Amino acid sequence: MSAEHLLEVRNLKTYFDVRGGVLKAVDDVSFTIEAGETLGLVGESGCGKTVTANSIMRLVPIPPGRIAGGEILFEGVDVLKLTASEMRKVRGNKISMIFQEPMTSLNPVFTVGDQVAEVISLHKKLSQREIRDRVIEAFRLVRIPAPESRINEYPHQMSGGMRQRVIIAMALACNPKLMIADEPSTALDVTIQAQILDLMNNLKEETGASILFITHDLGVIAEMAQRVAVMYAGKIMEAADADTLFGEPKHPYTIGLMTSIPVLGIGKKEKRLSTIPGVVPSLFKLPPGCLFNERCSVAHKECGHLEPPMIDLGHGHIVRCHNHA
Amino acid sequence: MNFWARITNPEDRHPFFDQIEKLFKNRTGVAGLIIITLFVLTSILAPAISPHDPIENSLYDQLKPPVWKEGGSTKNLLGTDDLGRDMLSRLIYGARVSLTLGIVSVGIALLFGSMLGALAGYYKGWPDNVIMRIMDIILAFPYILLAIVIVAYLGPGLRNAMIAIGIINIPRFARIIRASAIEEYEKDYVTAARAVGASNRRIIFNAIFPNCLSPIIVQASLGFGEAILSGAGLSFLGLGAQPPLSEWGAMIAEGRSMILRAWWVMTFPGIAILFAVLGFNLLGDGLRDALDPRLRD
Repeated sequence: MSAEHLLEVRNLKTYFDVRGGVLKAVDDVSFTIEAGETLGLVGESGCGKTVTANSIMRLVPIPPGRIAGGEILFEGVDVLKLTASEMRKVRGNKISMIFQEPMTSLNPVFTVGDQVAEVISLHKKLSQREIRDRVIEAFRLVRIPAPESRINEYPHQMSGGMRQRVIIAMALACNPKLMIADEPSTALDVTIQAQILDLMNNLKEETGASILFITHDLGVIAEMAQRVAVMYAGKIMEAADADTLFGEPKHPYTIGLMTSIPVLGIGKKEKRLSTIPGVVPSLFKLPPGCLFNERCSVAHKECGHLEPPMIDLGHGHIVRCHNHA
Repeated sequence: MNFWARITNPEDRHPFFDQIEKLFKNRTGVAGLIIITLFVLTSILAPAISPHDPIENSLYDQLKPPVWKEGGSTKNLLGTDDLGRDMLSRLIYGARVSLTLGIVSVGIALLFGSMLGALAGYYKGWPDNVIMRIMDIILAFPYILLAIVIVAYLGPGLRNAMIAIGIINIPRFARIIRASAIEEYEKDYVTAARAVGASNRRIIFNAIFPNCLSPIIVQASLGFGEAILSGAGLSFLGLGAQPPLSEWGAMIAEGRSMILRAWWVMTFPGIAILFAVLGFNLLGDGLRDALDPRLRD
């Protein structure tokens, strides 16, 4: 088996049965994460990034959601086949999650120390004293100053950046193999964002954990990820290592995203920011053929009725586009 | 550390104390709290402060009026009933009965109501439907009628009256906690708790339940007053406390045949019930002002 991959997602299909049809939130998504690697998952809002993450953690509400197919192999074991209690042992212990909203992801009625301690006590058999030491250690790891007194504070007494550190401490508390970070910096202001990203990069080196980093911010991805997958309407459009993807993007959607990043500078000839025309298609009414063809600048006849296959360009660079066949 | 600073310093105290402070700034809440404190102290100290044994008859002192009326004496400050028992002592001991009744019946309602409500709100679907339809059935009966039916089935007596009042109060707690649980369920910290591997039971009782406490506290306080009232009602009908136990409702029932000759036998227990219920209602309103996030400014 593919023992060398820490996480391998194969042909994952997560559908939602709702009134008016089936929403294919994640449709035939495959990717791998190696040990110690950061994979960036980028895409517009509603393209299925978060649903992919929740599928790995088995947090998709069933019903209305359902995993219609595929495998999620974590250390060679399909997490989709684990029982509920086996899954609880994985969550927070081997795979942990960092949430988007530091303001609401902590329980307001408990101290932050108690909440980190809870994670440890759920997974490790330790005495109160040892748990407390580990909580303080985790707080120190995420650079919270004066951890001995900070553990007694309530979430409302902390700033957004501090709370996000607590959430990262919760995610790190049991030394997980994989951390899923679902837009961890989106809700923070830019300076705090930079601090948190720095912190996560350092922690990755210190703990050796892999990260699945979900964001819609290409700038953040460039800073964080070794490999990048671009998602659009539930499908992966292009994946490559970060240098290749930013250096020579192949898919018209990726190229469109790159050119719509505002650039600061004097003497720019082009005054207006370039945009991708149109909007993300509704998941109820996906266009036939290539999902992107209605907005694509280089689409030809074939794109309107034939869905492009995933094309391997070598060196792990894959792209879903007829132009590269 | 400095304990007092942790309570008074708004910067680093527990949010609980913010709400306590808010309650103390609320006049109705404080009035209710004072009445309840008096009420609780009276029942705890009953043997020490009551001038006579509440069930001691005295053939020579039948239907003595209160001390300020003609014929009254300082021996029986609030007069005596038809068996010569001291009214004041009976009222003081009656506070004990009412307090016990309130604690037990609200306890029953709170325990079962919050458990059923939390399960219904968390699992939704069919458990929700089954539980809440049963609650609707209980609510469909007139309040006191259902209590009478339950007591009639279990047999009259104070203990069964408490159980009956507890049962009929389950739906009000279940509904409130179900509503809060549904609201809390959507919050991110519940997903976060699931993502760290917490079980359903842990999520319900360790994450969701503590966040639903404020409406429960308010409802418990209001329910306490109502439970005392229903208890007195059942005792008045002869289904609650049995003689010679001194219970306010039963005392009213005993005194009603003498209302024209000896008004005090019936009036004083009525006033006692009035103040006890008023106290809990005032406190409940005060707590609601202090705890309800929708009323926060």
